[in-house]
Amino acid sequence: MTGAAASPGRDPLAALDADRRAVLSSIAERLIPEAHGMPSAGSVVGDARLRFVLNARPDLADPLAAALRPELGDDPDARLAVLERDEPEHHAALVSTVVFGYYTDRDVRDRLGYPGQEAKTLYSWQLPEYIEEGLIDQVLARGAVWRDPTTGVRATATYPPLAWTEETP
Amino acid sequence: MAPEPADVLIIGAGATGGVVGRRLAEAGFSVVCLEQGRWHDRAEYRGAELDWELTMRKQWSTSPNVRGLPEDYPIDESDAEVSPLMFSGVGGSMLIFAGAWPRMLPSDFRVRSLDGVADDWPLTYEELRPYYERTDREFGVSGMGGDPAYPPGGEDPPLPPLPLGAGGLKVARAHARLGWHWWPEPNSILSVPYDGRRPCVQRGTCQQGCGEGAKASTDLTHWPKAIGAGAVLITGARVRRIETNAKGLATGATWIDEDGAEHFQPARVVVMAANAVGTARLLLLSASPQHPDGLANSSGLVGRRLMMHPFANVGGLFDEDLESWQGQFGCSIESFEFYETDEKRGFLRGAKWGLAPTFGPINAALPSRAGTQVWGPDHHLHVRSHLGRGANWGLFGEDLPDESNRVELSSTMTDSSGIPVPEIHYQVSENSRRLLDFHIEKASQSLLEAGAYKVEVDRLMRYSGWHLLGTARMGDDPTTSVLDRWNRAHDVPNLYVADGSCFVTSAGVNPTSSIAALALRAADHMVETRFNQQVPA
Repeated sequence: MTGAAASPGRDPLAALDADRRAVLSSIAERLIPEAHGMPSAGSVVGDARLRFVLNARPDLADPLAAALRPELGDDPDARLAVLERDEPEHHAALVSTVVFGYYTDRDVRDRLGYPGQEAKTLYSWQLPEYIEEGLIDQVLARGAVWRDPTTGVRATATYPPLAWTEETP
Repeated sequence: MAPEPADVLIIGAGATGGVVGRRLAEAGFSVVCLEQGRWHDRAEYRGAELDWELTMRKQWSTSPNVRGLPEDYPIDESDAEVSPLMFSGVGGSMLIFAGAWPRMLPSDFRVRSLDGVADDWPLTYEELRPYYERTDREFGVSGMGGDPAYPPGGEDPPLPPLPLGAGGLKVARAHARLGWHWWPEPNSILSVPYDGRRPCVQRGTCQQGCGEGAKASTDLTHWPKAIGAGAVLITGARVRRIETNAKGLATGATWIDEDGAEHFQPARVVVMAANAVGTARLLLLSASPQHPDGLANSSGLVGRRLMMHPFANVGGLFDEDLESWQGQFGCSIESFEFYETDEKRGFLRGAKWGLAPTFGPINAALPSRAGTQVWGPDHHLHVRSHLGRGANWGLFGEDLPDESNRVELSSTMTDSSGIPVPEIHYQVSENSRRLLDFHIEKASQSLLEAGAYKVEVDRLMRYSGWHLLGTARMGDDPTTSVLDRWNRAHDVPNLYVADGSCFVTSAGVNPTSSIAALALRAADHMVETRFNQQVPA
C-alpha cells in the first residue's frame, strides 16, 4: 500500500475535460487567491499538481469530476454553495484537490518556510533544558499526584530529586 | 489433510497477539496465529513523502471504513457518536497508533470502591506493575522515572525520554507557574538505538506508520522473535468462527483465505487478540448449541460495555514559530493534574492530557482536529497562523462502562467474505460530557498561561475511537463477567481473550501499555498452568 495507487499507464487527467479543468481553475482561484505574498491556487494547481494529487488519491477522481460538471453553472460561489449543501462528498473532493495540489507545490512550501517532515538527530543522553531549569524538581517537590486506593485520598509518598546520568549509550 | 493441532491458536497478530505469541513460543508451545491483514514493509509508509498528508486521509486513515482495504471489515457505526479505529496487519493497530505508553493509575483498578460507580478490577496496580516493566523492556519505552503521578519504586523506563519540543517546554513552564503536574510522556518510541532498531527522527508521522522502525509494533518487536522460536504466522487469514465440541471446549478456528477457500486450524487452546470490536464480533459469530448466545456469553456481556475514551482536542496558537509539525506523535508531555475524582467538579473520574504535534500545511488548511477552514485572501493568514505555531492537548476522558454501549452483529451488512460486520451502538454519557467540559476549560487555561493568544477546541472528536475496550470484561463472578482474572473465559476453559476486551473500566489513559501488560500476565499464567490446562480430546 503506497500513495501511488492509480491504474498504471492511465493519465488520471483524462477524466477531466477542458471545461471541467477551467471550472477547477476558477474554483481554485476563488478558494485561495493571490494575497499576502502567496500565489493563487489557480496559478499553482495546473496539470502537474493535479496529476500528482490524483495519482496519490485516485479515489478523488470520480467525485471531483462530478463536482466540476457543467450543469452546475459558471458561478464558482454558487457551485461551492450547492455542493456544500447538497453533495458534501463532492464538495470535499473539490476543496481537497485544490488544497492538496497547492500545498504540495515546492514554491508554496518554500514561501511558508515548511520543508516537509524532516529527519532530525536526537541527542537523548544530553541533559534536557527543562531539567537544568529545575522544572522537574518543582514537580517532584509538590509530591504525589495519585490517589491511594487504600485510603481514597491523595497519596503522601515522597519522591527523591532527579538523578540524571549523562552518558553516551 | 487437516493441519496438526497447535498448542495455542492466536486470532490476530497485533499488540496482544504478538506479546502472547512470543511468550508462548519462547516457552516451547507450538503457536499458530491467524491474521487477516499482511506484513507491511516500512518502505510503504508515507511520512517522508510529499503525499503524506494526502494519503493519511485515505489509504493510511485510522478508520477501516475510510480505508476500505480488502483486509478491513466494514463497521456499521451509524448509531455511534465515536468511530472505532483500527488497522489489520501484522502489528495490528500499533502500526498506526501514536506510541504514547502511560500506565493506568492505582485508583483505576478500584473505581467501585473509591467512587461508587462501575466496578473494581480483580487485580491491582501493584500486581500488574512487574508486567508493565517487562513489556516496557520488550517494546523499548522512552521516558523518565519518578513520575509522582504513580507510586514510587520499581524500574524506570529503559530508555531516556524523547524531547519536549518548543511547545512542550512552553507548556511545562506554564505548569510550573500554575503549580500543576506535568511530566515527559513515556512513549514506546526509541530515543536511542535499541534491540536492533533505530531511534526516532522526530518526523511526526507516527500514526501513518514509522518509517524508521523507532515506534514499537509487534511486527518489529515480537513476531520475528516468536517466529524464530517456531511460531507460525498465517496472513490473509480471515477467521469466520471459533469452533467448539460437544463439551463446549474450543477446538480451533474456521478461516477463509484471500482466494475464498475455507480452512480449519485445530488447536488445544484459542487466544482471541482481535481487539474489543473484532473479538466480540467473533465470539458472537461463534454461537453453537452449547453457546447459543455466542461463545463465552452466559453472562450476556460479550459485546457489552464498549468503551472508547471520549476525546477532546484543545489547540493553542502562538505568535512564534514552534516548528510544531515535528516531534513524536506520541506525546511530548502529559498531565495528570485533574485525573482523580473530585466530586465538586460535578462528575466522576478524570482525564489524562497528552501534548501532541500539529501536522503540516494541509492540516492547517483542512483541520482534522480543532479549527476552521478559511477561504479567500485571509486563507493565507489562517494557514500561516496555524502551521508550526500550535500545541495540542489531547484529552482522554475516562469512559465509564454502560451495557447499552455495545457491539452487535449486523443483520444487513457483511464483509467481502460474506461474514456479518460489527454494528456499533455507542453514546457518550452525561458524566463524560461534563468531564470533557471541565478538562477543556483547564487545558485552555494551561495553553493561555503558556502564551497562546487563541485556543481552538474540538469538544468531541468523532474519529477518535483509537481505544477499544471492555466487551469481554474480566471479573471473579461468572454471572457478571466474561473472563476470569487471568483472561480465561469462565464458560470455555481453553479460551482466552488477551486484548482490550478484558478491561473492567477504561481508565483515562492511552491503554496499549496496560493491554500489553495484561496479555503478558495472561501468557505467563498459561505457561504456569500448562499441565493443568483442559483441552479437547
